[in-house]
Amino acid sequence: MSVAQLAGGRVAAVVRKAATRDPLVIAAVVVVVGVAVMAVFGQALAPYDPDAIYVGPVSAPPSLAYPFGTDDLGRDILSRVLAGTAPSVIGPVIVVVASSLLGAALGITAAWFGGAVDGIASRVIELIFAIPGLVLAVLAVAMFGKGLLAPTLALAIAYVPIVARLIRAGARQELGKPYMAALHIQGVGSAAICFRHLVPALLPALFAQTTIGFGYAMLDLAAISFLGLGAQPPASDWGVMIAGGQPALIAGAPEQSMFPALFVVLTVLAVNVLGARVTTWAERGER
Amino acid sequence: MSEVVLELDRVSIATPAPAGGSGRTLVHDCTLQVHAGEALGLVGESGSGKTLSTRAVAGLLPEGFTVGGTIRIDGDDVSLLPPARLREVRARRLGMVFQTPRAHLNPFRTIGDFMTEALVSVAGERADAAARRAIDLLDEVGVPDPSRRMRQRPGDLSGGLLQRVMIAATLAMDPRILLADEITTALDVTTQEEVMAVIADLRRHRELAMLFITHDLPLAGAVCDRVVVMNQGRTVETLPAGSMRAEARDAYTIRLLSASLPAAEAGAGTVASDAVAGVLAQVAPAPILRVDGLRKVFRVPAATGFGHDEFVAVDDVGFELPQGGSLGIVGESGSGKSTTARIVCGLETADAGTVTVKGEDWTRPARGARGRRRRARIAQMVFQDPYQSLDPRQTVRECLTEAVALHRPKASRPEVTARVDELLANVALDATLADRHPRALSGGQRQRVTIARSLAADPEILVLDEAVSALDVTTQVEVLTLLDGIRRSTGVALLMISHDLNTVRRLCDEVVVMRSGGIVEHGPIADVLDRPAADYTKMLLDSIPREGWVPRRRRPARTGALPSVATSATPVPRGGTP
Repeated sequence: MSVAQLAGGRVAAVVRKAATRDPLVIAAVVVVVGVAVMAVFGQALAPYDPDAIYVGPVSAPPSLAYPFGTDDLGRDILSRVLAGTAPSVIGPVIVVVASSLLGAALGITAAWFGGAVDGIASRVIELIFAIPGLVLAVLAVAMFGKGLLAPTLALAIAYVPIVARLIRAGARQELGKPYMAALHIQGVGSAAICFRHLVPALLPALFAQTTIGFGYAMLDLAAISFLGLGAQPPASDWGVMIAGGQPALIAGAPEQSMFPALFVVLTVLAVNVLGARVTTWAERGER
Repeated sequence: MSEVVLELDRVSIATPAPAGGSGRTLVHDCTLQVHAGEALGLVGESGSGKTLSTRAVAGLLPEGFTVGGTIRIDGDDVSLLPPARLREVRARRLGMVFQTPRAHLNPFRTIGDFMTEALVSVAGERADAAARRAIDLLDEVGVPDPSRRMRQRPGDLSGGLLQRVMIAATLAMDPRILLADEITTALDVTTQEEVMAVIADLRRHRELAMLFITHDLPLAGAVCDRVVVMNQGRTVETLPAGSMRAEARDAYTIRLLSASLPAAEAGAGTVASDAVAGVLAQVAPAPILRVDGLRKVFRVPAATGFGHDEFVAVDDVGFELPQGGSLGIVGESGSGKSTTARIVCGLETADAGTVTVKGEDWTRPARGARGRRRRARIAQMVFQDPYQSLDPRQTVRECLTEAVALHRPKASRPEVTARVDELLANVALDATLADRHPRALSGGQRQRVTIARSLAADPEILVLDEAVSALDVTTQVEVLTLLDGIRRSTGVALLMISHDLNTVRRLCDEVVVMRSGGIVEHGPIADVLDRPAADYTKMLLDSIPREGWVPRRRRPARTGALPSVATSATPVPRGGTP
């Protein structure tokens, strides 16, 4: 789903509005694009080998040679933050994309067929809802071993009910409107009604939920890595780095935890801001 | 001349100014005076600025709107009063009632909570005293069994009753002037008459002045002393209500007056009958649509809160629609007329009875898209709310292209485009509007789009479910004329559902009068409307506002939101769900 589609094809107008009125959105776009570039080219941009130890002094504060300082093994923190972008960002993206697709499919199915199908789908949704995402992720690690794959898939499942409920409610409301009855009488095929009319109506809400979910997934995955259950040292995942910087934090060298944490916070904030604004524009455009 | 309780002097209202620009001025010059005890009608089409002006008086303009000119309430210039004092003046001297009472009441709180809130928090009364007074007020506006109503929630009451509750609530502060904004527009004619009768009583007993906002000129003429006509943000003239027709000078007023023909005159204007009668004589008498013994029962939550009751929406309804003919179904809300139309179009499943179209059984809704498409080429439907019946994300052209491509799958791209242009021309819609979204169209333009869409399938039957009820009077006339023209040129048969007898009279040859799910009267339009046999039809006709009309309370108010619940001993066939 693209921003262009959401705003009803009026991208130029939306961009112009953003530029004149909304510096926050511009900042958010800059951050998101920046993080995306870091995720793709991070390794190449890194001034040093992110895993090489003693490239500089141990636990050095930021300087021209080491802009974010170095950690307790003398690794360059900037290089590690850059290299860590991809693993830190791809996990949450997989979580939200998978949970949005599954959740939307489940929610639309429930609303469309109603009756017994709705009943069964809703019970399944409630069942998954009862299990907290982090617990499911930890359980998955216990069953399938440490690493990012198991918790990512576990979180994707745990996020399904949130999306499914939202989409089910939205779809039921939309299906009750007279234009749906008009399409039905016209003889428009069910697939066309669903994908050409119903799904576009639900996209703004889905997009908003996806961006919020991205933030939560990123924090959850960082927490799992922080707990030592996700990405394993010496990998340069942001969550691992925050965890690894703890002793240095007490020793008076906050850079090790601070910089990766800063990027986690910035990314989550930027994606949330963008999601909220785009949804608002799309909804305003419909009225 | 008596004291002026509300005065607007050259009031202008503008939208919020964007950075570095100035706002759009929506009201240019609204000047009017309401004297003590007087009822002043403020009439105009939607967009004329009448609601905006009223909201300026009540301080309910949206954020950032600016007001020029002077508004005086009881002689106090509102722009000079300190905010706290202004709130006090508005709370104690103004009462405001809106079009949609249901939207202004919290569905989770009881009527009692709502009624006593202002008394307790503004007037500082004790809860028990406030409750007693609330019951008195409900009684005064003719709400039956007020102490029971106090414990009920908005969902338990009908629209007419809720509107009375809103009126009773505004009376709590004993206001000097009532601002009534389209308060009966959402109600059907008989309920409208009851609400207007309540207001007439109140005004007599309390010497209450009223600013009555409506787009319905005959109604304003009937219930007000003077009428101010507003057009494009300007008050164009003020007329004594009794002699509007004789004294109207402004071209716009004259247009409004001619748009709202009184019932007696409209008889001569049955545009359809003569021309079509000739056509009818030639075609075979076989009806294109035949409905027989139709019955539909909905399950509704029981009054006791346990289990469910059965509500008979349609009961033994039968009629025939001749090929190229036009049949109107009239009745109040809850009479089952819309349910009948929805069954014909396959949106509901009947519990008993048959629907036969061109000799084919249509009682069960079509299964699958192909079946629906085949039926779509025979019967199409136009709904009441044009905005809700269009996909807000599609432009007019996208919407029509979809419909045309659906029914002409073999047509090439240019052929489809040509057909879309033809449809636009058929409904007299400017081609420059084709790339707009529904939100950028007026109500009348939107309804033209839905009509064009329904014509894309070249149907033989057009079902119009209150298709003009949501439109302004002048737009109503335009759309009705358009439909009549379409009927003449294409020979499509019309099944018109409406609560408004005048619109049915304009288009239909025959009429069926429905009440509580059953047919009360059925016959040629002139017979039924000019020489009604059933008392119910007479009452419907009597409740249409016209010159010299005095609203009367005709019957004890309904005791619930639903007119009747099945109590018959006959077994009810099980069928679809509501």
